[in-house]
Amino acid sequence: MRFFSFHLMPYPDLPPDYDGPAWITCPNRFYDPELGGALYNRYIDELLYAEELGFDGVCVNEHHQNAYGTMPSPNLIASILARLTSRVRIAVVGNALPLYDPPTRVAEEFAMIDCISGGRLIAGMVVGGGPEYYSFSLNPAHARERFAEAHELILKAWTEPGPFEFVGKHYKLRYVNTWPRPVQRPHPEIWIPGVGSLETIEFVAEHHYAYMGIPYFHIDVFERMFKMMCEACQRQGYEVDPLQLGWLVPIFVAETDSEARRRYEEHFWYFVKRLLPGINISPPGYTSVRSVENIMKNAGTFALNLETWEQVVSGQYAIVGSPDTVAELLSANIDRLGVGNLLGLFQLGTLPADDTRRNLELFATEVMPRLRNAYPGVDRLSTAGATAR
Amino acid sequence: MSELAAGTLTTSVGEIDLRRGGRGGPVPLVYLHSAQGEGEGMTMLEALSESREVLAPLFCGFGTSEGIESIDDIEDAAFWALDLLDRLGLSSVDLVGMSLGGWIAAELAVRWPERVRRMVLVNPVGLYVEGAPIKEIFGRDLSELAGELFADPEHPIAQLMRALAQFDADPSQIPFDLIRPVLQSQAATAKVGWNPYLHDPKLRRRLHRITAPTLVVHGSQDGIVPRAHAEAYVEGIADSRLEVLDGAAHMATLERPDEVAKLVLEHLA
Repeated sequence: MRFFSFHLMPYPDLPPDYDGPAWITCPNRFYDPELGGALYNRYIDELLYAEELGFDGVCVNEHHQNAYGTMPSPNLIASILARLTSRVRIAVVGNALPLYDPPTRVAEEFAMIDCISGGRLIAGMVVGGGPEYYSFSLNPAHARERFAEAHELILKAWTEPGPFEFVGKHYKLRYVNTWPRPVQRPHPEIWIPGVGSLETIEFVAEHHYAYMGIPYFHIDVFERMFKMMCEACQRQGYEVDPLQLGWLVPIFVAETDSEARRRYEEHFWYFVKRLLPGINISPPGYTSVRSVENIMKNAGTFALNLETWEQVVSGQYAIVGSPDTVAELLSANIDRLGVGNLLGLFQLGTLPADDTRRNLELFATEVMPRLRNAYPGVDRLSTAGATAR
Repeated sequence: MSELAAGTLTTSVGEIDLRRGGRGGPVPLVYLHSAQGEGEGMTMLEALSESREVLAPLFCGFGTSEGIESIDDIEDAAFWALDLLDRLGLSSVDLVGMSLGGWIAAELAVRWPERVRRMVLVNPVGLYVEGAPIKEIFGRDLSELAGELFADPEHPIAQLMRALAQFDADPSQIPFDLIRPVLQSQAATAKVGWNPYLHDPKLRRRLHRITAPTLVVHGSQDGIVPRAHAEAYVEGIADSRLEVLDGAAHMATLERPDEVAKLVLEHLA
């Protein structure tokens, strides 16, 4: 079992009277750069603290033109972490490949982070969220083929001797010869986040990568998603490794259950009601019709529809409570979902610095050791399968 | 009036959904639809078919028309239309294009002007006009969009759009068969019109190539395409004129079938 601390680096100061989306058109006059600078430094400290507390890794991710997650370049943050940490895995979950042109940029920057960190990078690759196709005016109907082609190019750049020519439909490069090369051979561990689209799951299974379930759905949705992943691996002729499955979930630990809810609830609602609106826009052609049908079945359980704390608890949208409660709930879900990676969001919405640090401390000292005892295991997903294909 | 007969045509990109009916006229009339994919049961086409042979193909991704994977941009759409004329053995046609279909018609006519005898463009997209942006059609609130497409809020499609908007928070409540064709046609429109947004930067400087006498129809209440676009087409096409349809919105061929049919027949006569 591996434990990661995931940070979205949200913007906690949207004006109270603003009720529009947090994405695409959320006016950037709301962004206060002085506050933003302080937040970046605070959030980086929270990630660094996770290493001190014994987490296995930290996670950052990429989003553009929004208040939900203020890391348009997660690689900048990851490179700071690479220098200032010495042990944790640094998971960039991920780079939105179609937004990089040419995507050899991703091969280069990921290799830099892998070199600086001494081989601790986990290379996440994503198609990019629906809103990003508006923010970049990038054709969503080309999203999947650009992603597939960029992925192929990056893997080739890491594993085949350069220079070589690459001629694809979207990218045509006369000289691919990426300097630097990653430390990890044949290449860093690769994670792909998803919301249950069948194409993505089949792609992950085929390449022996790891699938990270994107949160904010009812726990039953995760169960279905991971079951799909297990079946996809079986169709490829192997059993899924738990390290190929990651569950991303908001976690908050306090001394007692009631104290936990009292300290956490308002910050969770800021996240749900202020930062999520707009995240679910699905531009035309972004997902195949077959996958839309599949994803839409789950749409009713998306966190945007939450109204009461009881719904949050019963759907396990966040794991909140005393150390005993949190350990029990996580343990039950780890068994149920069969995951080998727990990705906790320990800061969410407006949750302040002191509560975030206390949360991390309580989790690391009271919860993590119990789970480590219950789920011992290897700490590195083999990339052998990926190269054997 | 009788309905056009449904059928298919084999083209280089696959089977195309093609409605046809009527007889008469010096050449067949080809109707190219908007992003709504209209054609089936369309009053205007039935009216036209009383005196003209009418052909109404559906573009790739609309209805059962195949081949969207072979389309990446508007130039591919122009070649699709050319291939269609070739397969039908038509050396020359009259073209009537609505919105997206007007754009495809213009792209065809600048490349192969000899294939177009006369042309009518109704609220066409396809040009960029500084200071007069085409309104966003992707990712919009459907009840708002309905008000920009239709002058009459009670038009059946406007009503349907408002009904669908009710399920925005939980689209799983909508029967999927109802939205599958919408998803497919929007994806097809995005393929040709996402970026550059519903225009081809090269089209305007090519408009002088068009030889067909062209009527451009603009609905005065069009909430999507400003009048400046119709004027830009008229400015660029040598033998052309503008007709403003008072009170009509974007989907004029659906909402004002008799008037548009009359304008079309007069112009094509």
